Amino acid sequence: MASGALLPVFALMTSLLASLIIFTLPEDRGRVRTLVNIGAALIKLALVAVMIRGVAIGQEYLLAFDMLPGVEFVLRADALAMLFAGLSALLWLLTTIYAIGYLEASPNRSRFFGFFSLCVASTMGIALAGNLFTFFIFYEMLTLSTYPLVVHRGTPKALRAGRNYLIYTLTGGAVLLLGIVCLHGLVGDLRFQEGGHFAGAGPELRGALPWVFFLLVSGLGVKAALVPLHGWLPQAMVAPAPVSALLHAVAVVKAGAFGIVRVVFEVFGLESAQSMGLLSVLVVVASVTILYGSAMALYQVDLKRRLAFSTISQVSYIVLGLCLFGPVGAAGGLVHLVNQGIMKITLFFCAGNYAETLGAHRIDELDGAGKRMPGTSVAFTIAAFGMIGAPPLAGFITKWMLGIGALAEGMDWVVGVLILSSVLNAAYFLPILHRLWFRERTTPWPKEYRWGRLETSVWLFWPPLMTAVMTMAIGVFAAMPFSPLAWVILIVSREVAL
Amino acid sequence: MNAVAPHLLLLSVVLPFGALALALWPGGRFFYRYTLPWLPLPALCLGMLAPDSSLELPWLLNGGLWLVDDLRRTFLVVTALVWSVSGLFAVGYLKRVHQTRFCVFWTLTLAGNLGLIVAADIASFYSFFALMTFAGYGLVVHEGTVDANRAGRIYLAMAVAGEMAILAGLLMSAELADSARLSDLPGAIARSEQRDLIVLLLLAGFGVKAGLPLLHFWLPLAHPVAPTPASAVLSGAMIKAGLLGWMLTLPFGEVSMPVWGNALVLLGVLGALGGAALGLGQRRAKAVLAYSSISQMGLMVLMVGAALAEARQAGTLLAVVALYGLHHGLAKGSLFLSTALALPERRSGRWLLWGLIALPGLSLAGLPFTSGSAAKLAMKDVLAPPDYHFAMASWLPAFMSAGAVATMLLILRFLQVQNQGAARGDNVLCLWLGWAASLLASVLLFWVLPWPESVPDKRWLHEMLAGAWGLTWPMLLAIGSAAVVACLFRQR
Repeated sequence: MASGALLPVFALMTSLLASLIIFTLPEDRGRVRTLVNIGAALIKLALVAVMIRGVAIGQEYLLAFDMLPGVEFVLRADALAMLFAGLSALLWLLTTIYAIGYLEASPNRSRFFGFFSLCVASTMGIALAGNLFTFFIFYEMLTLSTYPLVVHRGTPKALRAGRNYLIYTLTGGAVLLLGIVCLHGLVGDLRFQEGGHFAGAGPELRGALPWVFFLLVSGLGVKAALVPLHGWLPQAMVAPAPVSALLHAVAVVKAGAFGIVRVVFEVFGLESAQSMGLLSVLVVVASVTILYGSAMALYQVDLKRRLAFSTISQVSYIVLGLCLFGPVGAAGGLVHLVNQGIMKITLFFCAGNYAETLGAHRIDELDGAGKRMPGTSVAFTIAAFGMIGAPPLAGFITKWMLGIGALAEGMDWVVGVLILSSVLNAAYFLPILHRLWFRERTTPWPKEYRWGRLETSVWLFWPPLMTAVMTMAIGVFAAMPFSPLAWVILIVSREVAL
Repeated sequence: MNAVAPHLLLLSVVLPFGALALALWPGGRFFYRYTLPWLPLPALCLGMLAPDSSLELPWLLNGGLWLVDDLRRTFLVVTALVWSVSGLFAVGYLKRVHQTRFCVFWTLTLAGNLGLIVAADIASFYSFFALMTFAGYGLVVHEGTVDANRAGRIYLAMAVAGEMAILAGLLMSAELADSARLSDLPGAIARSEQRDLIVLLLLAGFGVKAGLPLLHFWLPLAHPVAPTPASAVLSGAMIKAGLLGWMLTLPFGEVSMPVWGNALVLLGVLGALGGAALGLGQRRAKAVLAYSSISQMGLMVLMVGAALAEARQAGTLLAVVALYGLHHGLAKGSLFLSTALALPERRSGRWLLWGLIALPGLSLAGLPFTSGSAAKLAMKDVLAPPDYHFAMASWLPAFMSAGAVATMLLILRFLQVQNQGAARGDNVLCLWLGWAASLLASVLLFWVLPWPESVPDKRWLHEMLAGAWGLTWPMLLAIGSAAVVACLFRQR
């Protein structure tokens, strides 16, 4: 079926093409660049929406050809791919809008938006990749296209963070490649497949597979910022706010987590991964990461740094969910892929707004910001409560599913981890909210800009508000069809074959 | 009414949320505070008039269900009334500074408080509970003083701990019940092997809100520092949310748990007497009242304990607890509002007003022909020792009498402090109106409300006269001992 094969390619090409056009545009053609950026984002969103409708009724979108003998290039739109693709298409649109406002009148915008589009194309490729090799190609492409974004400012600090980022992620990539090659040597080329490949694996494989698993997960764990592989992430927050937003919400960190999901679900299969005892190790790593990230966040005085450590903690909820064996826990983990993305992007948008409008970077500079920037602060408040897991927001859905999943499988201690993490989340978010709303401003802002009638530039004002509304909506309307939760339950029912 | 009830149900919860839109433009902000008294009115109609009805919201969270029944009606009436009269009071009380912020937090807290009463599914109940808790912080720290911020910190820390205990308890029981409905939880908890742990979590979690002794530390700090109308809703309405949480989730009537019953009765007595003892030492009227709330909640905890211990009695007991909550909420709301009233310059007017201020207090102490006397008689009726077999049962009458003496002493202390501390002068109209409405509600409403079927009949005058001595001797004892103490101090 021609259209079936082409849709994923189109989705990929829109951002690739946009990136090429933008690279060739001269710096001063801002209007055209904006048009291309937003146009491409809208087209892609539409394409993904069409595919989501198709996948929901069981349609298959597949493109496959041999790259090398024995190595296939596969693009495939399944339910899991659509979860990630949908998130990335949606947030790309908002982040593009935000970035246009954020980088207004700053140099090198063509370079920035070119790599920005390239980065989103890689994300789309990661979502649609149908086997580990295809996944790897886009995974590395993501590394290379995000580096220029991280060092965009060109300051020594940014360059240092960028170097660190490259060292971490390229090493991770090499380990991942090693794992993929080992697996290829053992069993040949494997497409991702619902239920995994190793349900009936014999003893000759069982000796080697745990090592392969270890290689794959540690390779992916670098981007997913699992402790102790997380060192690059807090430094990378020197990047401009829209980059941090995208990095933390969809692109890099999520690519790692998504890769782990693919490996656990569709290479090994939930049941065989569990029977080989692989998940019991991973669940401990995830729990440690959750608590470590939250505890470290408490000590940060820089807003974006605190958010970065919060990401380390929150992304591991996804991994934790997979390791709970059961369908409910898996659904809880997967839905957090979307939930965390939307909440965290809101927080970074807001952090960017405070920095760009008031010059406030540190948390203690935010006293009284609620009165000066009510819209941004409302968005921040909603997203922060979402992160804490307060009902009825997005984070609560995650936490509830994870908790029920853990209890159903007799892993009661996980509830303790969730509760402790919530308490820590409350401990590092609530004081910020207190400053925003209940402290009086006595000194002038560090560096204030005025933008007419609204509290900040229009481009910066609406994206966080929209994602904040989404944070509420995906919690409150969790039972609606096509809500992230409903979609995730569809995925899990296909993966675990209830 | 049957056809209207579900709409009214929806309106009760949605209206406060809708009012938030007023904060968006300057005209709305100016107008905002005048809406505060009206926002709880649909809920009040629902509580007074609506028959049992329910509303399915399948798209909400993991399947929403809101309903009204006997228990919820009682809570709706007290909550909506206290919020409404306090809202009226707030119109006159609020200052310009941060007025919109106060109104926003007020409305959010109100929405949470009303929502949690009608919610019958776990997720929306917990959502509204959390909304009330966190938005309530905005009311506590509103004044921005050092005291308020300190109280707010402790409030928030304990609230988060409470929320987490509730979350753990709800998670465990929901997993066992395999249901999203609150009504399925008690049965599942009763059958569970982890029953004691779950009961502990829920008791402690909701206990933070209900001012359970040892979990109460935030309460005497937070209730007094809030602006007066907020103190009234904190002590009159929101404190009852913890009580309702217990009633909806704990396995009452499913299984008798004498150990928990004994423990709660003891905690209740500790609260009733200890709260009063600490309250007597307070110098600010609102602090005395806050301790009085702990003391009164102690009496309710005592009844809840008896209900946990004796499954057969649980139904009747809980209905009486709800009535007691109604009586206490209205009286305490009125008392808190009166702390911000200035007393008239003229001596006669001052004494008249002072007497009226005292009325809800005397009602708390059980003055015959007040709501307090009715509640106390109903309580005595259902707590008769022959029906109970747990260890503490035979002590119940003695505890109740001691509680009555303690209450009266505390009220006397309040009246003394109030008289000393109050300003002299006139009040704004809305202050008068709000306080008068609260007084009327406290004194009259109890008599016109339909009495829930499960509660022993109130036998009006006859019963009141027969029970008059039982009701008045603790008061007289308290007055007598207070007089003795006063004389001793004067001689020194």
